[in-house]
Amino acid sequence: MAPYTNIPLSPAELSYLHTSLSQQPPIRPDGRSPTQFRPLIAETDILPSANGSARICFADGTEAVVGVKAEVEKSKTSQALSNNGEVAGQGVLGLGTGSGRDVDDEDMDGEGEERAGKGRDEWLEVAIEIPGMRDDDALPVFLSAMLMEALLADGGLKDRLWINSRFHWRLYIDVCQPYYYTISNSTILLLSQPLSYPLPLLSLTTHLALLATRLPALVSEKDEDPLFNDDWEASTYLYAHTSFQQKPPVTLLVMSVGDTILFDPSKEELAVADSALAISIAQSSTGELRMVALRTVDPPSRLTAAGVPNVLNTTTGATGAQSLSAAEVLAIREKDQGQSVWRPPRGGVRRALVARMIKMVVEKGGVGEEVMAGLGGVEM
Amino acid sequence: MPLDTSTYALAHLRLDGRRWNELRHLHAQISTQASSDGSSYLEQGNTKILCTVSGPQEQRRNAPGGRQQQAGAGSDTEAQIVVEMNLAAFSSTDRKKRARSDKRVQEMQFTIAEAFRGTLFTNLYPHSTITITLHVLSQDGSLLTACLNAATLALVDAGIPMSDYVSAVTVASAPSSDQSLDEVDPLLDLNGLEEQELPFMTVGTTAAGTGEGVEGEAKIMVLVMETKVQMGRLEAMLSVGVDGCRRVRGLLDDVVRTQGRRVMENKIS
Repeated sequence: MAPYTNIPLSPAELSYLHTSLSQQPPIRPDGRSPTQFRPLIAETDILPSANGSARICFADGTEAVVGVKAEVEKSKTSQALSNNGEVAGQGVLGLGTGSGRDVDDEDMDGEGEERAGKGRDEWLEVAIEIPGMRDDDALPVFLSAMLMEALLADGGLKDRLWINSRFHWRLYIDVCQPYYYTISNSTILLLSQPLSYPLPLLSLTTHLALLATRLPALVSEKDEDPLFNDDWEASTYLYAHTSFQQKPPVTLLVMSVGDTILFDPSKEELAVADSALAISIAQSSTGELRMVALRTVDPPSRLTAAGVPNVLNTTTGATGAQSLSAAEVLAIREKDQGQSVWRPPRGGVRRALVARMIKMVVEKGGVGEEVMAGLGGVEM
Repeated sequence: MPLDTSTYALAHLRLDGRRWNELRHLHAQISTQASSDGSSYLEQGNTKILCTVSGPQEQRRNAPGGRQQQAGAGSDTEAQIVVEMNLAAFSSTDRKKRARSDKRVQEMQFTIAEAFRGTLFTNLYPHSTITITLHVLSQDGSLLTACLNAATLALVDAGIPMSDYVSAVTVASAPSSDQSLDEVDPLLDLNGLEEQELPFMTVGTTAAGTGEGVEGEAKIMVLVMETKVQMGRLEAMLSVGVDGCRRVRGLLDDVVRTQGRRVMENKIS
């Protein structure tokens, strides 16, 4: 019996999709080019009580609202702070703190050197709410870990949260996703496979919300108790809007089918993916894009059921199929190799293909730049 | 302090410059999400609610313990109405993650479900469930009010037959230095600060006789009061509240008609 999956496509449909997408140039169900994104609506500053907020709506109806709130918190003073913020162990996610190395923020003037390396991973908290799921279900936890990993990876964000040696900002990024179409209420999932479809949506919305986040202007000096200017007009952006500025990271979902690489895959396209990667990129102040995190995602195509080859199909009159042993049936299927009917993809992805995917994202004039430019064009 | 009695008595203006019977800016949109059966977005002042409705649909799950309390549990003869309210962590001034079993939220969910059980024609859909999901993006007073109004619009968008809109409003009793019953204005449509300081109630009604072909008197579907007020002031508050509901109903109706016009124009052109 095939494992349960909430992909309502038959083996014939899967095979058809796979073949269309493997063509050169690929034929996508909605007619997009391989690097074309679906149209979306983006707006910022929709929440009056949050430091920063954004909302992105995809054409298929999924939307996400992200609110960023900041609170002043007393820093834990320990000897560790004197070692450039590195604590025994390696930050919250075991990634290494890695801060201070690549941060060259021209917008922070003399403070840049003071702040570099002082940020701590636990100053950032990302929480995702998906209707119908509890907060400790696999999907929300997985998604928030992925988002947090990307945000912390380049070290720039947590360094901006440093106020002085005794206090820091604690940033709460809360994601509210009003509608999530692939969750069915009667789940009997045999595998707790997280479906990472909302990841690019959440990442883009978080990026916008962070760009729109403002923190009150600091009035106190050095190490005294922080005092802020009451005037909200005097507040400063977390990511300053000068022409040379670092931007928060963005995570893109990239999939491959055979030798074809596709961006912004839809649900149907992901159902036939050979591989899927979540690539997080950050833009330094010089405008250069850098990959800060890469995560392989198990595509849902592995959960699909294989089709039955004609040779074995008793309904089409294949004789002798019933008399074959299990080993012989297996041999026939293996020989077929998914050419006559659909077979779920097996194995990993070639390194050369991964390299191509990364290059397409990071290169000058590539997809990453297009996405960053698009988001940068949203009015604050 | 905000509700210092003397300031109000001087100019009869509230903190945000409104008079006693002025509603906050109400902005609503219907059919905001094409992918759900019914949806709406409503802003009353700074209280912003996003509502989606799905159903009537097959009752697929055995309701877990908490849901048994929901109204309309007679599934053989009528549809069950399930209300889910999600308060976003960034919705109030302080960031606060709500536990699922917050009693206050559960009570509001129940109140909303009961209110609609009285207006929706649930007997047309036995063995099915109508799910109303409310996402509170920002709250600044009159939360239950805004939820009821948003849910009404979303239910209209979903095309679920109903006898009338449920429109709601909050009313408070203005502070006064003496305890006399005269010259005390009931305040309409409270914001967050006022709700914290004054005794108030939430009133939700169906249509009053507006003279536009709607006959009969207004029926009160929701009346919630958790604070104490002098008995003598109650009647004035209630009548101001019912009148306020009528005005809100007019605004909601405008939104629905505008959308209807837009749909017709798209079909005809």
